[in-house]
Amino acid sequence: MAKSTIYAGLEIGTQKICVVVGEAKRDGAIRILGVGQAPSRGVRKGEIVDFEKVQTCLNDALVRAEDRSDVMIRNVFLGVTGAHIESLNNRGCYRLPDEQSEITEDDVEEAKEIARNVPIPQQNVFLHSVTRQYIVDGQEGVKQPIGREGRMLEADYHIIHGMRARIQNAIRCVREIPLEVEDVVFNPIAAAQVVLTREAKNQGSLMIDFGAGTADYVLYQDGMITASGSIPLGGDHITNDIALALQIPNGRAEKVKIEDASCLYEDVPEDEILLIEDDGGLVIGEVERAFLNEVAYLRTREILDQVKERCQDHLSRLAAGVYLTGGVSLMKGIDSVAKDVFQMKVTRAGSAPVSGVSAMFENPQYSTPIGLIRYAQILDSEKPFLSPLARLGRRMADLLNTVAL
Amino acid sequence: MVEYDRNQLQAAPGTAGLKICIVGVGGSGSNVLDRITLDKTVEANLISMHTDVRVLGHSMAPLKLQLGGELMRGVGAGGDPDLGREAALFSRDAIRSAVQGFNIIFICTGLGGGTGSGAAPVIAEIAKSTGALVLVVATMPFSFEGRRRVNQAEEALELLQKRADALILFENNRMGELILPKDGIQKAFSQADQLIAQSLRAVSTMVSIPGLVKLGLDDLTTALSASNGRCLFGFGEARGQNRGIEALKRALKSPLIDQGRLLHQTRSLLVHVAGGESLTLMEVEAIMKQLGRNVPDHTHILFGVAVDAKLGESTSVTLISSLGLEQLTAHSSAAAAPVALNTPAPARAAPRSAPPVTAPPPELLAVTPAPEPMELFSPEELPAVVPPPAPVAEEEPIAEIEEVPAPIEEEQEEFFAEADAPVEEPAIQDEPEEVDEPSATIPDSIDFADEPTFEEAAIEEEEEDEAPFIADAPQVLAPVADTAHVPLPVASRPVAEEEPTPAPAPTPVAAAPAKQHGSTLAAVVARGNGNGSKRAAEDQATFRLGDEDRGKHFKDTEPALASDGGENLDVPTWMRLKRKIRG
Repeated sequence: MAKSTIYAGLEIGTQKICVVVGEAKRDGAIRILGVGQAPSRGVRKGEIVDFEKVQTCLNDALVRAEDRSDVMIRNVFLGVTGAHIESLNNRGCYRLPDEQSEITEDDVEEAKEIARNVPIPQQNVFLHSVTRQYIVDGQEGVKQPIGREGRMLEADYHIIHGMRARIQNAIRCVREIPLEVEDVVFNPIAAAQVVLTREAKNQGSLMIDFGAGTADYVLYQDGMITASGSIPLGGDHITNDIALALQIPNGRAEKVKIEDASCLYEDVPEDEILLIEDDGGLVIGEVERAFLNEVAYLRTREILDQVKERCQDHLSRLAAGVYLTGGVSLMKGIDSVAKDVFQMKVTRAGSAPVSGVSAMFENPQYSTPIGLIRYAQILDSEKPFLSPLARLGRRMADLLNTVAL
Repeated sequence: MVEYDRNQLQAAPGTAGLKICIVGVGGSGSNVLDRITLDKTVEANLISMHTDVRVLGHSMAPLKLQLGGELMRGVGAGGDPDLGREAALFSRDAIRSAVQGFNIIFICTGLGGGTGSGAAPVIAEIAKSTGALVLVVATMPFSFEGRRRVNQAEEALELLQKRADALILFENNRMGELILPKDGIQKAFSQADQLIAQSLRAVSTMVSIPGLVKLGLDDLTTALSASNGRCLFGFGEARGQNRGIEALKRALKSPLIDQGRLLHQTRSLLVHVAGGESLTLMEVEAIMKQLGRNVPDHTHILFGVAVDAKLGESTSVTLISSLGLEQLTAHSSAAAAPVALNTPAPARAAPRSAPPVTAPPPELLAVTPAPEPMELFSPEELPAVVPPPAPVAEEEPIAEIEEVPAPIEEEQEEFFAEADAPVEEPAIQDEPEEVDEPSATIPDSIDFADEPTFEEAAIEEEEEDEAPFIADAPQVLAPVADTAHVPLPVASRPVAEEEPTPAPAPTPVAAAPAKQHGSTLAAVVARGNGNGSKRAAEDQATFRLGDEDRGKHFKDTEPALASDGGENLDVPTWMRLKRKIRG
């Protein structure tokens, strides 16, 4: 049955707001139907600080996406990020009752429950709890424990949690458009679904989504997500550094960063001078290219160092190396800086090929929103298939619950 | 063979003959009485006592007693416990005649106010002197009511503990979780009253209706014997298919038990299963098995079954346990609390489950006078309490302790090491325990030590001296410990009597109110958007962050930036480097 579903992914980034409409086919293929994008205002470090501005921009992006895809968007998968989001791994251990030897669904649920019951700050909520593996009587890497014989079942979970209020604010902002939020996804988790291949996940890899406001990372080992997080430093910091160093407006600095700056300063001839012009073409300053590059290098390196420090424990066994995606990964020379920092292979990557709007997937700026579509698809494929009637029944039950309580 | 006096047995009054009286003291007490009167949940004589005639006027209790008639002129005690006490003393004769001739007297009161804190101990004393069994059900004030009221409540609590046979203490702060944040305050209070009324009913049925597997007052005191403990109470009733499990689920759902999570930390748990004549062994077994998953192995489960024709087709499960205040606050107000205070708490929780206080060394047991309830109850409850079951009661906790000593030691050292963290002046309250501490290992650090750890250390050390005598005991006795489940009811624990006297330590409380204030509210709000019901909150209609998503404890999840050594990372890197080079 090649039934397809249409999903919309929404990323409210620091630099841009992006809505991607995609069609997920039952066979797993994704076709991008349309992309709507608008420059973002009112977002700082990946988090919304000004509701109204964001909503205006979001409306723009939404209208464009609807236009291009010819789809009326009602529900979105919302990508969130921010430094408040943290992750941890936890194991829940459940010993089967004595007279029972075969693991049942209930036991798995029980183990999951225990694993999910971890201490996180009270103002936080769980964003994701990803099953990494099950361990049955010490045997690791069990993917499907139901039906196996065993005494002791452990569920290994990767738990991502963030501050409730901030996540809720993002949701509220979107709901006021009005759009329904189907699920909230931590950005790098979404991006990793399209940036990292299964092979890369199995071999062990670190994906860094280097955006304007935040650098989000997710680390896979043995096909299991091992670490994830977000660092509130990004491309805007590079821009800001340049603006302050060169004493030029931020807008100009952004342009300089994209067009001229590079992270390689050592091989640049000392006397190479770069002229900075304003919009009218007037020269407002000049700067040694080596100096500009050094400023950019220092910041880029610092951010990557931060990422490295956070996943220090897991870096030893990453055969597939580092994958850089997100807008800043387009920066010149960033791969050699990353290579220098992590001492391993560095790949700059966009999304894996998807069909539809041409070549969009190649742009690393869109990995997250495309990833959201993929995430939605994965989520749906994991859900048990419900007949329309059953679905209706469930909704009615929900409704009744709401009324009764 | 022990011979029972058959005549006495026959003379023992049945359920109907046991006369129960419930006295509501003060405003909150009379509210509970109103609730009981309305629900007709308990068959008992209800007496409302207050200094304020207006409150008495509203009260629905059939019998009302104004305290300190001429002295107070019908005005309330105005939050002054001294006035409350004076008033109660003034009308002591009236009180005595009102409570005369009952077998069990419940006193419900809200501590912290004038009449509640002042008069309740006096009434308890008078009730005791009539020869009845006195059970006190009290609530501690909300922390936002202020430090002073909490202090008054603590003082009153100390007095009550000396006089009552058992004290069931509810923490109002936790009551906040009973309801949805948007519910009216009236509903909040009536829910709390209802819960207290339920607990009264449960306790009175438990001690009065003869069970198949009997639970008595002795078991109740054991279950409530955590030091400075607050009662965890859960009650569930269900009918129809799967009613046993369903009832247990409901009992566990009680917010005072926090979905069963708090049970992980308790030392002893009282479980009472009651059902109509159709109650089957299978059902009981299923309930206990299910419960076993929520309770750690070393918890002492006091188990009772009763068949009560009144229940008809339904089955009810009552869970009663207690938890030290500090553990409770560590659990509920975790997020807002400073790390220094809180991180050790969960760590300590596990070793704590070895009963440090319930198991004082044998000498201590010998010295402690047998508790009142034993004599008091013996006429009615002969088969249950009279036979000398001393071995069971005494040895069993030892067996339990034997299993855990090492972790305690470690834990303790660890704790002392980091004890420099300023814990608010616990020194005063440590003294009572220090008296029976033979070898104060690290005397200078005692001042810093948090009370529970210290207690354990003390007893643990004493216990070690004892070890040779019982060295081979644990293995042999381990099964004995399980006899708690076996029909023969466990004997009363003398300990419970002596234990509460060390007084409610102000230590944890000192830290508590400030923390709780914010965080309880936070918890309530968090719940608000959680659980199914709150789906109503319309901004949560499709996507919601459920209760299961809510963070429970505090863990020092560390700062956003790994090397944020006071450096502002928003300042350009080159600028910071330059500064560094210059500096």
